Amino acid sequence: MYSQGLIGADGKTHEDAAFLAAFQARIDAEQKIEPNDPMPEGYRKTLVRQISQHAHSEIIGMQPEGNWISRAPTLRRKAALLAKVQDEGGHGLYLYSAAETLGVSREEMTEQLLSGAAKYSSIFNYPALTWADIGAIGWLVDGAAIMNQIVLCRCSYGPYARAMIRICKEESFHQRQGYEIMIALCNGSEEQKELAQDALNRFWWPSLMMFGPPEGESVHSNQSMIWKIKRFSNDDLRDKFINASVPQAEKLGLTIPDPDLKWNEAKQGYDHGEIDWDEFWRVVKGDGICNRERLKNRRRVDRDGAWVREAAMAHAQKRAARTASARIAAE
Amino acid sequence: MVTIADLGILRSIALDEEGCIVAQVTPTYSGCPATNLIQQMVLEALHEAGFENVRVESVLSPAWTTDWISSEGREKLRQFGIAPPTETSNSKRALFGETLVTCPHCGSGETERVSEFGSTPCKALYRCLACREPFDYFKCH
Amino acid sequence: MSGTCEPMMTSNQTLFSYVLRLADDHLILSQRLGEWCGEAPTLEEDLALANIALDLIGQARALYAYAGQVEGKGRDEDQLAFMRYERDYQNLLITEQPNGDFAHTIVRQFFISAYMDPFWRRMEGSKDDMLAAIAAKASKEVTYHLRHTSEWVIRLGDGTRESHERMVEALDDLMMFTGELFEMDAVAQEMLQSGVGVDASDLKAEWQHTVQTILQEATLELPKAGHMQTGGRMGRHSEHLGHILSELQYMQRSFPGLTW
Repeated sequence: MYSQGLIGADGKTHEDAAFLAAFQARIDAEQKIEPNDPMPEGYRKTLVRQISQHAHSEIIGMQPEGNWISRAPTLRRKAALLAKVQDEGGHGLYLYSAAETLGVSREEMTEQLLSGAAKYSSIFNYPALTWADIGAIGWLVDGAAIMNQIVLCRCSYGPYARAMIRICKEESFHQRQGYEIMIALCNGSEEQKELAQDALNRFWWPSLMMFGPPEGESVHSNQSMIWKIKRFSNDDLRDKFINASVPQAEKLGLTIPDPDLKWNEAKQGYDHGEIDWDEFWRVVKGDGICNRERLKNRRRVDRDGAWVREAAMAHAQKRAARTASARIAAE
Repeated sequence: MVTIADLGILRSIALDEEGCIVAQVTPTYSGCPATNLIQQMVLEALHEAGFENVRVESVLSPAWTTDWISSEGREKLRQFGIAPPTETSNSKRALFGETLVTCPHCGSGETERVSEFGSTPCKALYRCLACREPFDYFKCH
Repeated sequence: MSGTCEPMMTSNQTLFSYVLRLADDHLILSQRLGEWCGEAPTLEEDLALANIALDLIGQARALYAYAGQVEGKGRDEDQLAFMRYERDYQNLLITEQPNGDFAHTIVRQFFISAYMDPFWRRMEGSKDDMLAAIAAKASKEVTYHLRHTSEWVIRLGDGTRESHERMVEALDDLMMFTGELFEMDAVAQEMLQSGVGVDASDLKAEWQHTVQTILQEATLELPKAGHMQTGGRMGRHSEHLGHILSELQYMQRSFPGLTW
């Protein structure tokens, strides 16, 4: 464990009042916290949980879209989709590496995902049923993710904030692609428009749920705000997302599936209908149509690949041994 | 902001005999997902600048190489947190994927490769052993 | 697109056929590799396989677009890629073989890359400007594919007993599809004579050298060449192609004539 240099995370940091106050003062002065800086254990744990959940979401998120690579309708769309899913894998890897700066290993994080102990974004427990879903996922799911991530670009933890800046750029490219798929559908035949509307109908509410339950119910929110890991409330971000998405839907000629959606002149934003939080908790807790399948797939892939990883390790060891004995022979 | 001219993707802009503005762009990798978008955005930019009679052409040959990234482009990449390609594309080391990459965050040369590919085909993922920053490296090609 | 040229002394039909079969090879192989997305043994390898698949789709798109242009009937890359019947696809049989385990996928890709690497390098000297331009990009890319798969062949061959045995099985299973790589039918002959195409039969020695050098380092052997399967260039495929097409063409067949 020495090599991971867990300053602040090794239990040796004495978290007395003066230490905590000094730490908070740095946060309040908008100084970035870096991997080698001392930090309270709670801060480290919160970040590990958040960054690894984020990484897991990227990895699980490869499944619903990966499901459409072989069936994409044109070569251009196929290439774009494959590149997008590769991008998500790459972001997952980047985020695992960012979490590793906090002294947790990728193996530990993967183990937590496979055992079901770690969470990932619940949106990926909804199935991608039609090609239009690929458009809707890009437009709405990536759109909601960007809304969450843009504020994380100012997160107090340096490596996470910097990772987010770069990831946001690439995500906005995905969102543009998704919206472009929707435009093509909405400029197309009646059946294509129906596909688009149907995808919006199914993905609208789950997208709103991506921002999490309203404040007060969210366990981790308050301390995260104080530590500037988080900077806006779930409801604020959700409202921003709705305000951005409604005109986009109008431009497409699609109807948001919320009869209570109304412009509120006073707050210069939309009021929305009630979100079904029972559904949210049901899916989070494992009873969505895809939960079991998503995790089972990851476990199967992990199992099927075990012999390959073992072989790679064995070969690396053989090679190292050969190099070492060649060196000895030379000396 | 890194531009497509910095990256050597925009090859030329010229007038043809009929007075049409022709922008020539070249794809980086055959499978680069941004190729279509780049062409579209060049067209939009020319339209927005008030030019009506415009055309974007894709040229495949000579094949794009990271050697075409300008020194300014490399510096901009570094500022954005992406380590620019360190060697010329046809050097032996680039061919075998062994490269000394400097951390764009702290400048240390003590770095290690995490993955040969990052989120896009043109990048590899590295980590700095000094400041521990994970970062993208724009590979030689 | 620049680089259009009138190929000398050859009928457009032959050139069309030659470009189309190359495009089919790349499309079908990329479709297979795309199936690995999210399924690879490590996250790093997931990214690498997706990257190779992306290179292949990119190459296929350039080839289909050019084939459509040569044919001159207004068919675009998608109409050529999606709207033909089983017997009209002319890809090599090895490209359509199932992914199997990771050893099979690596051996398939290794065999093909060791062939395409010298193939594209020679094609860079083609009298056809467009094929030469496509080759210039593709040869850079396939050099990497060959390096990447060679590394895996060595790791798996010289890894554990299990990985070694799996590699032996994969080599045995795929060997019979390698003869087709070097066949020269009338179309290929005509293209060679007009300075457009590559002499595939002449690549065999280099292929064998590359493959045997790597296999030796991997403590593996190239199986004895027995009966070689053939037929892809005439549209006589294994049973696997139909299933690939049923997924590949699903959208275009369900919703004919629409824009996506």
